[in-house]
Amino acid sequence: MNTKQLWKNCLAEIETGISKANFSTWFKNTSIIKEDTGIIHIGVPNEFVRDWLINKYHKLITKTLADAYENMRAVEYTITKAEKAEEELESAIENETAFVNKELPLKDLYINQEDNLNPRYRFDSFIVGTFNELAYAASQAIIESPGTKYNPFFIYGGTGLGKTHLLQAVGNSIKEKYPNKKVHYMTLEKFATDFINSLQNNKANSFKEKYRKYDLLIIDDIQFIGKMEKIQEELFHTFNTFHENNKQIIFSSDKHPNYIPELADRLKSRFSAGMIVDVSPPEYESRLAILKVKLKDLNLNLDQEIVEYVASAVDGNIRELEGNLNIIVCQYRLKNKPLSLSEVKNLLKNNMRPKKNMAIKDVAKIVSEYYKLEETSIYEKTRKKEIVKARQVVMYLLREDFSVSYPLIGQKLGGKDHTTVIHSCLKIKSDLKDDPQLLQELEQIRIMFK
Amino acid sequence: MKLECKTEELKSKVSLIERITGKNLTLPVLNSILLIASGKSLKLRSTNLSLGVEVEIRAKIEKEGIAAISGSVLNGVFSNIYQNENIHLEVADGNLLIQAKKSKIKLKGQPHDDFPTIPRVAGTSFEIDPKKLSEGIRSVYYSSSPSDIKPEISSVYMYTDDDNLVFVSTDSFRLAEKKIKIKGIPEIEGILLPFKNVGEIIRVFGDLTSAIKICFNKNQISFSSDDVYLTSRVINGIFPDYRQIIPKTSAITTGAVVLKQDLLNALKISNIFSDKFNQVNLRISPKEKFFELSSHNNDVGENKTNLDAAITGLDIELSFNYKYFLDCFQSITTDSVSIKLAGAGSPIMINPVGDASFTYLIMPMNR
Repeated sequence: MNTKQLWKNCLAEIETGISKANFSTWFKNTSIIKEDTGIIHIGVPNEFVRDWLINKYHKLITKTLADAYENMRAVEYTITKAEKAEEELESAIENETAFVNKELPLKDLYINQEDNLNPRYRFDSFIVGTFNELAYAASQAIIESPGTKYNPFFIYGGTGLGKTHLLQAVGNSIKEKYPNKKVHYMTLEKFATDFINSLQNNKANSFKEKYRKYDLLIIDDIQFIGKMEKIQEELFHTFNTFHENNKQIIFSSDKHPNYIPELADRLKSRFSAGMIVDVSPPEYESRLAILKVKLKDLNLNLDQEIVEYVASAVDGNIRELEGNLNIIVCQYRLKNKPLSLSEVKNLLKNNMRPKKNMAIKDVAKIVSEYYKLEETSIYEKTRKKEIVKARQVVMYLLREDFSVSYPLIGQKLGGKDHTTVIHSCLKIKSDLKDDPQLLQELEQIRIMFK
Repeated sequence: MKLECKTEELKSKVSLIERITGKNLTLPVLNSILLIASGKSLKLRSTNLSLGVEVEIRAKIEKEGIAAISGSVLNGVFSNIYQNENIHLEVADGNLLIQAKKSKIKLKGQPHDDFPTIPRVAGTSFEIDPKKLSEGIRSVYYSSSPSDIKPEISSVYMYTDDDNLVFVSTDSFRLAEKKIKIKGIPEIEGILLPFKNVGEIIRVFGDLTSAIKICFNKNQISFSSDDVYLTSRVINGIFPDYRQIIPKTSAITTGAVVLKQDLLNALKISNIFSDKFNQVNLRISPKEKFFELSSHNNDVGENKTNLDAAITGLDIELSFNYKYFLDCFQSITTDSVSIKLAGAGSPIMINPVGDASFTYLIMPMNR
């Protein structure tokens, strides 16, 4: 049902029945917020209006609505924030730029203090594709029955893939669906600072109390917990309390719990007890969908050709995708005319993640440094175990990250046959599957490339 | 309607609530004050749909009734009647007849059917000394943003911190915070009083001496004393988490204590020479025992004032809008003022010396 249209029709009818002054005073800024099994919720700007509508116009409204919408059972009035006219906003913004004063750095004007949730993150704006459909489905199940189905829920995946969005959206949905439940979103860093502060002030007990009163706890970026032993212990206890009381707890991390360095085994096993899902980078179709939604949000039309180009050119994470889109939008607004494909290409050129280009020699050098070997030993003909491993890693990285051809790798690394190189790459690939240690090593080496 | 009541009381109450009638609203009846005579009292009611107020006057009622009379006319009439005797009011044919000692006045009434009701607020309630309420509001409200763009900062924010009721306002260039101790106050998570309404609230309750009752929920707040009931809408929003921007003691690099009067005088002189951005420069050098305010204007000239100050910490130089600085003196009653700085890019923090209840922040200019 189109509530907007319905209300518009009703208003037109109501307008004819009452004086113009009354109509514009009491019915301006009203809207239908939602319809729920026959109960129509009308949004009004303040209590004065609500009182008056109930006292004076309730019959008229009920009758008009009932005529227009036969399933209607009741009308309720809710106070909502008034929407402001756009022009008013714009002119005011212009005035404001006249100030040279810096503003106080009040960043989170819109974040709810009590639960730390940012209302901007909702499922309406969350795009589901194959890359995150499992995580999405699981989170829907959690909203359906928090605390019982997948507890704990653990999401992991690279940076900028929408983990935080998903977590916050779950929090927001639960808050909406179960208004009595206390939801709290925080990053691990906040948890840690809180804990340290409570230790400093000798208020360790109040710390425990503070977190245990929540019904849903969301902890973001938990991967940093590795080095913090005390905090792991505290989290462990908090976790147990939540789990015993069937309260939902959700974590996110950029690594699988098994690969979080120095994570205590008891936490690892607890994380695995619930549901662990990963989000991967979005594929082309999802990227396209994401771009389209963002454009709609911005109320902007770009050529299909350009959107497709951006989606194909930016293959990194969603955050980068957004960043690049913002650049285009900014240019578009600046020039105030549609951009051509070549202009867009030019714009994005500088922002593409530079294809790393490294000499084979440098890769070998970094890897040998990492494994504390002589650089020359990589090129030697030897079957010493540690050297063989380092050499294989070099080959694997050259192939995977820098797409160097097999024969060339072989030739540069001491005249090996290309089949040797292929074997090395496959070996590392299969080792990676069951050796978390190796995965970590590779990650650390990759960081050294930057 | 026919009644008799004390002239003085009616005069003062009409002038009190006349300001709250709706001006320039599409509904003409909102310009008026509604008079309701019933039982043993005359009730006067006015509203502008953001604020609503109802006052009660003891009166001898001969005949009950209701009338709506233009507020400005009513106020104009009563402010010019001077007499000690009682005054007689009567409604006939929708007109209000006023019988004073020496004059007879007939005022045209308006149809009162459309006059709205005033919401009664249900929710948490507590009592407060009106002096404390008005001190709290007065100490901060000048820092609110007058513009409607961000309604959450076009407001006075009230919340409780242990036994303190905390009042905060900011327009994002400066911020004022005042803590008032109130024993046994219930926990308040946060109320945003609209900036446009706080003036009226202090005006109505500021002079009372007996405790008033405050009742609030997430949409509405009410203040009531024996004979006045006032209700205001509250802003639906989240006040920014300002505590994080108050410079921590550990971050303070420079501190100075100066006499308030010295500083005030120096700022007033700087004012003459400041440019159109009201810019004044501040230079502090602890080594040279130096606390200097300067300003210059190409058309007028320039000035430098050196103040006696107790200074600690590092050298610093920054500029700020002197108006923001001057504003806070209305909330500072002590003789000396402490100024704390945490670098040229961080807010300037101002406290009265020996009074921890008031904190004021100013953002320096970035030129």
